[in-house]
Amino acid sequence: MHNFLPLFKGEIQRLVKYKILQIALLVTVMWLAILFLIGEESVAEFVPLFIFMDATLMTVMLVGANLFYEKQENTLKTLLITPSGFAALMMSKFLSAIVLSFQSAAVISLFAYFIFGVSVSFGWLFIFVALITFMHTALGFVLTVFAKDFTGLLALLIAYMFFFAFPTIFYALGVFGETAELWLMFSPTHASMLLIEFSYGLDVRTVLIPIGAIYLVLVGAALTKWIVVPKYVETAVRE
Amino acid sequence: MPKTPVFEVKDLRFTYRKSSIEAVAGISFTVHEGEVFGLLGPSGAGKSTTQKILTKLYTDYQGDIQYLGKDLSSYSNDYYEDIGVGFELPVHFSKLTGMENMKFFSELYKSRADIEPLMKMVGLHEDKDRLVGEYSKGMKMRLNFVRALLNNPKVLFLDEVTNGLDPKNARIIKDAIRAFKENGGTVFLSTHLMNDVEELCDRVAFIRRGEIVEIATPRELKIKHGRREVKVEYFNNGKTDEATFELDGIGDNEDFTKLLKEKTIETIHSGETSMDEIFIAVTGEEIDRGDDVDA
Ligand SMILES: Nc1ncnc2c1ncn2[C@@H]1O[C@H](COP(=O)(O)OP(=O)(O)O)[C@@H](O)[C@H]1O
Ligand SMILES: [Mg+2]
Repeated sequence: MHNFLPLFKGEIQRLVKYKILQIALLVTVMWLAILFLIGEESVAEFVPLFIFMDATLMTVMLVGANLFYEKQENTLKTLLITPSGFAALMMSKFLSAIVLSFQSAAVISLFAYFIFGVSVSFGWLFIFVALITFMHTALGFVLTVFAKDFTGLLALLIAYMFFFAFPTIFYALGVFGETAELWLMFSPTHASMLLIEFSYGLDVRTVLIPIGAIYLVLVGAALTKWIVVPKYVETAVRE
Repeated sequence: MPKTPVFEVKDLRFTYRKSSIEAVAGISFTVHEGEVFGLLGPSGAGKSTTQKILTKLYTDYQGDIQYLGKDLSSYSNDYYEDIGVGFELPVHFSKLTGMENMKFFSELYKSRADIEPLMKMVGLHEDKDRLVGEYSKGMKMRLNFVRALLNNPKVLFLDEVTNGLDPKNARIIKDAIRAFKENGGTVFLSTHLMNDVEELCDRVAFIRRGEIVEIATPRELKIKHGRREVKVEYFNNGKTDEATFELDGIGDNEDFTKLLKEKTIETIHSGETSMDEIFIAVTGEEIDRGDDVDA
């Protein structure tokens, strides 16, 4: 993990300089505005949804923005010829994505708690938001490797979300029956939503929580090891 | 004085994954401590590929590379404490200032050069707090050069380092390279520009289609391939004529002395074959003279 601290500091500095943090904040403020419009009686249902959107969709998009800048500016090449460890380099990117998710999760959950009295287990929320962000950061890397530009990334992301949203919707409509929920856990989208709902004390089957958490970590690690590490470096260097 | 080899490269080969031809096709050379070693060849010859192999960006090469007597692949990332790398394209964060860029990279090394004097040296000091995105191509290339020197490297790799620089800035960079060498540094320089080689290199390898055709000092090349001659322009029956004589043994050349005695001489030039002509003679290909200008 040689050089982790200066690399992480650099990532955070660039979140500000490239206005990625500012955009993330703006989106958070937008969620807050929507919560106000929704009104007190339904707020409790939407808060987990917004936190979920931030940790999944926004993570992929912000990681994508970061990586497309990096491709365009050839900066990974020059990082790779420093004594920094590759693990430290990856870790700095994962952690900066988690910082962004924490920012919005903190603002939204504190706001909902103090203004609308929506209670939450902050401990679980932050642990799960970190896991969800880890997995979706890896996904962001993968989609960026295969996308030509940012628009291409958005297209892939929308396709991905649709693909994994349908089973959840059908399940909610009662098409599959009760036992199907275990199978639904194979959808990172479904698993992520469940973990956040659990933090908000919603009625979910407790046994699915460790399964979902472990599953997200495994998927994130597998994507990182077998796709991100080999492909990410290769595309950076061979251009 | 015995020369210590810094790099010893034997039968180096490299093929890009999607390509069927070898980008580097079995090259061998030695880079000695304290010298400026040039790799000169036309675009696409394999210079950048060779540099990327020596800087451990490509590790799936064939052949043998020794760095200070040990296999290059046996070095950890500590290798990068020793070397400074200048890329042929800009490699900076455009939304950070020049100085912010340099500070960020500097913190990744154990040994850290003073940044301000380096920025002064390449004439970027006044623009150090401007965003790199607002820099001209030439300014970005000069920042690349500073970037390569941040860790007080022992070996400097420079890829097309004067490309896109106006003559004044090219001169600044060349002087800095010479100063680096005078302080004991070793330089591996790839270029398609003859000027760079003539002014900087102690030895030069001509590379063409992945193969090294010849390695020598610029002086040796001139002696071996060059013709040394004297060209005389003289006044003859109301117009200017010219005659050319071999430089060797010219004192005994009666035609020459007769001409000097009998004619009105307008000019005398001793001519050496230029490196351009030598390059064409050796490789059969043309090379840039290197006068392209861009701020
Ligand atoms: N990323 C790459 N993928 C495939 N082929 C490449 C790549 N980069 C360079 N090449 C090819 O390898 C050869 C050598 O290229 P390069 O080392 O960049 O040459 P030079 O630096 O001498 O101009 C060229 O034929 C070039 O087309
Ligand atoms: Mg090149």
